[in-house]
Amino acid sequence: MNKATKLVVSISTLFRQTRSSTFRCNPIPTIAIINSQTHLRRRESLEPNGLRFAGRVFCSESGVKRSFFKCWNCGFSSEKVAFLFCDSCRSIQPVDDSVDYFQIFGLEKKYEIDDGILEGKYKDWQKKLHPDLVHNKSKKERDYAAEQSAKVTEACRTLTKRLSRAMYIMKLNGINVNEEDTITDPALLMEIMELREAIAEANDSNELNQIRSQVQEKLKQWSDSFVKAFESQRFDEAVKCIQRMTYYERACEEIVKKL
Amino acid sequence: MAEPAYTVASDSENTNEEKSSSSPSLPEIAVGIDIGTSQCSIAVWNGSQVHILRNTRNQKLIKSFVTFKDEVPAGGVSNQLAHEQEMLTGAAIFNMKRLIGRVDTDPVVHASKNLPFLVQTLDIGVRPFIAALVNNAWRSTTPEEVLAIFLVELRLMAETQLKRPVRNVVLTVPVSFSRFQLTRIERACAMAGLHVLRLMPEPTAIALLYAQQQQMATHDNMGSGNERLAVIFNMGAGYCDVAVTATAGGVSQIKSLAGNPIGGEDILQNTIRHIAPPNVEASSLLRVATQDAIHRLSEQDNVQIEVDLGNGNKISKVLDRLEFEEVNQKAFAECERLVVQCLRDAKVEVGDIDDVIMVGGCSYIPKVRNILKNVCKKDEIFKGVNPLEAAVRGAALEGAVTSGIHDPFGSLDLLTIQATALAVGVRANGNNFIPVIPRNTMVPARKDLFFTTVQDNQKEALIIVYEGEGETVEENHLLGYFKIIGIPAAPKGVPEINVCMDIDASNALRVFAAVLMPGSSSPVVPVIEVRMPTVDDGHGWCAQALNVKYGSALDLITLQRKM
Repeated sequence: MNKATKLVVSISTLFRQTRSSTFRCNPIPTIAIINSQTHLRRRESLEPNGLRFAGRVFCSESGVKRSFFKCWNCGFSSEKVAFLFCDSCRSIQPVDDSVDYFQIFGLEKKYEIDDGILEGKYKDWQKKLHPDLVHNKSKKERDYAAEQSAKVTEACRTLTKRLSRAMYIMKLNGINVNEEDTITDPALLMEIMELREAIAEANDSNELNQIRSQVQEKLKQWSDSFVKAFESQRFDEAVKCIQRMTYYERACEEIVKKL
Repeated sequence: MAEPAYTVASDSENTNEEKSSSSPSLPEIAVGIDIGTSQCSIAVWNGSQVHILRNTRNQKLIKSFVTFKDEVPAGGVSNQLAHEQEMLTGAAIFNMKRLIGRVDTDPVVHASKNLPFLVQTLDIGVRPFIAALVNNAWRSTTPEEVLAIFLVELRLMAETQLKRPVRNVVLTVPVSFSRFQLTRIERACAMAGLHVLRLMPEPTAIALLYAQQQQMATHDNMGSGNERLAVIFNMGAGYCDVAVTATAGGVSQIKSLAGNPIGGEDILQNTIRHIAPPNVEASSLLRVATQDAIHRLSEQDNVQIEVDLGNGNKISKVLDRLEFEEVNQKAFAECERLVVQCLRDAKVEVGDIDDVIMVGGCSYIPKVRNILKNVCKKDEIFKGVNPLEAAVRGAALEGAVTSGIHDPFGSLDLLTIQATALAVGVRANGNNFIPVIPRNTMVPARKDLFFTTVQDNQKEALIIVYEGEGETVEENHLLGYFKIIGIPAAPKGVPEINVCMDIDASNALRVFAAVLMPGSSSPVVPVIEVRMPTVDDGHGWCAQALNVKYGSALDLITLQRKM
């Protein structure tokens, strides 16, 4: 195997850096869909430009910061955290980067979620935001639709999978997990080697399925450990859990490829 | 009938038509067209429901063919055939959906060579030569032209009945169509003066109809309530398509798609070969008789076939269902494989399937029905849709939805979330096809991969984009190619070449390529952005020509990722 160089940054991210803040109506409608890993690592540098907070009014009320959102089209003001769509005039709002994926789905910022509700909520959003539904609206709103629906898709993708969800919630807590970090734990290295061999040597789908259920069991265990570590704010440990999950997730992919 | 109101524009290659010319005036409701290999239909949302238009002979299903017999070619919309065999004299071109956008090395083109009109191949990867027999001379044409003539007639018929100009259309297309083939369909539409709002894979049109029916049935409990999982199987004369869709609240989310150019035409030809005595040319009489026998076999256990081929050649044979199934065993096995693959790609358990929907002419074949029942472990096939009208109805619904029509009763409160039918990727690691966006990725989609150079100090690299499922590039469709230049001198394996692909909601594909060096976070040369497909007819040549010219000098390999 090649000694891998550290991956730098994908073009999709670069595009966001170089273009998205200046060209709001750029010709690439789905610019906000970004490969999730690089996205998480790079996003911080993109957020603070504040351009997107158009129409947002802040006011303090008895010491608690509350925000109202004003529809760009009809001026209707909403207190909804995830104000992606105006219920009054049915127009799509510009993307607000301060809205996180959990808020989009009306979820508490917790790792363990009831992922059964994601699909339904996802469809509800797409029914309001999908670019197919705004053909006759202005170019501006069509761009909002492309970006919002892309963001909701990315949110759904990120929250559905345990690993990406774990990385995302860490990110929200200010910790960027670099999944390409080198492994130093010799025990883990050994285990990965053995696992790879087992997958390579497996002859039929029965064997592969057996390995897969073992790997998935491990994934579940490390996912549980992640919850504990994360909740007690032992972030170093949480990062280790994520690393483990990354390797098991990859092993799973490898198995599915062979199946 | 009056003189032709529209003529077909010339088939020139530069299509710089502005995609979405936004007209802020009254929304024109786009019509839905199902161009089938053997039959077409056209439907429109009439304000309260989908209305299928009929031709002057009161037919909803119109035979897809164009005759070049007289001065002006005439299609199946206006043209009345005295007899079924008249279509088989060589003057009529049909099955254009099996020929459009294919090169002369394609096995599907070769399978069309025993049709009564001329399909000539040179087997070098260019478009086949197609011609109709007019006054004992072969008059050449193209599948695009034939389709355009037919579409002009459909358009004229719709305009007469709807009493308004018809410009915007939603068309259904086979799942297995490459993006290049889709451009040929768009081309034919443009030649016919039609503007394509959407090209829908056929089973996704049926999924939309199903979503609407389901929503109407459960309209009282609003919201996206209970999700229903359906397997949609669509097999007509030319293509077999499968989809798995999860529907709730009028939203149909396509979980997976699978398709192949296998259909009733293949079954018919297999059966003709089986029935015909050796050394007897397949005649139009035999074709008609066999087709009729296959239809009857859906109801009966065996059929008697009697054909007098002339010259003392008589066929008298009893064909039973078992024999018919054996003759077509390979075709049926392929249907089964597609369904199994589609279910696996959708990652659904067979026990979770709520409905199995079967449409298209071949869905009447008992063997095909049994395959679906067995694979999906269902005793019953869904009865709520008309197998021959479902696709056009779905297309008409999509036409109304994308035209921005609102229905007070919520009948158009619909949405399809599409998935990519075929993977798109590049040539790398030798002659391998490396998918960047895998098949069945939710659309819109954007993904990227890293590649690196194969030579020391390699300054340029070829990005050759393919679409398909094959492991080597030869098995896939070439979409286009471009060269990245200005890679800094470095040992092989060091430069990082990022290839990013983007499919937007209207299914347009863009390919980006950037050169990065380790440690820097911005591209060293300007990023290249190309809208694909860029290839033309004769693209079989291009890949080979590139190979001859450059060998492996400008190759790429995937950048290894640690496990």
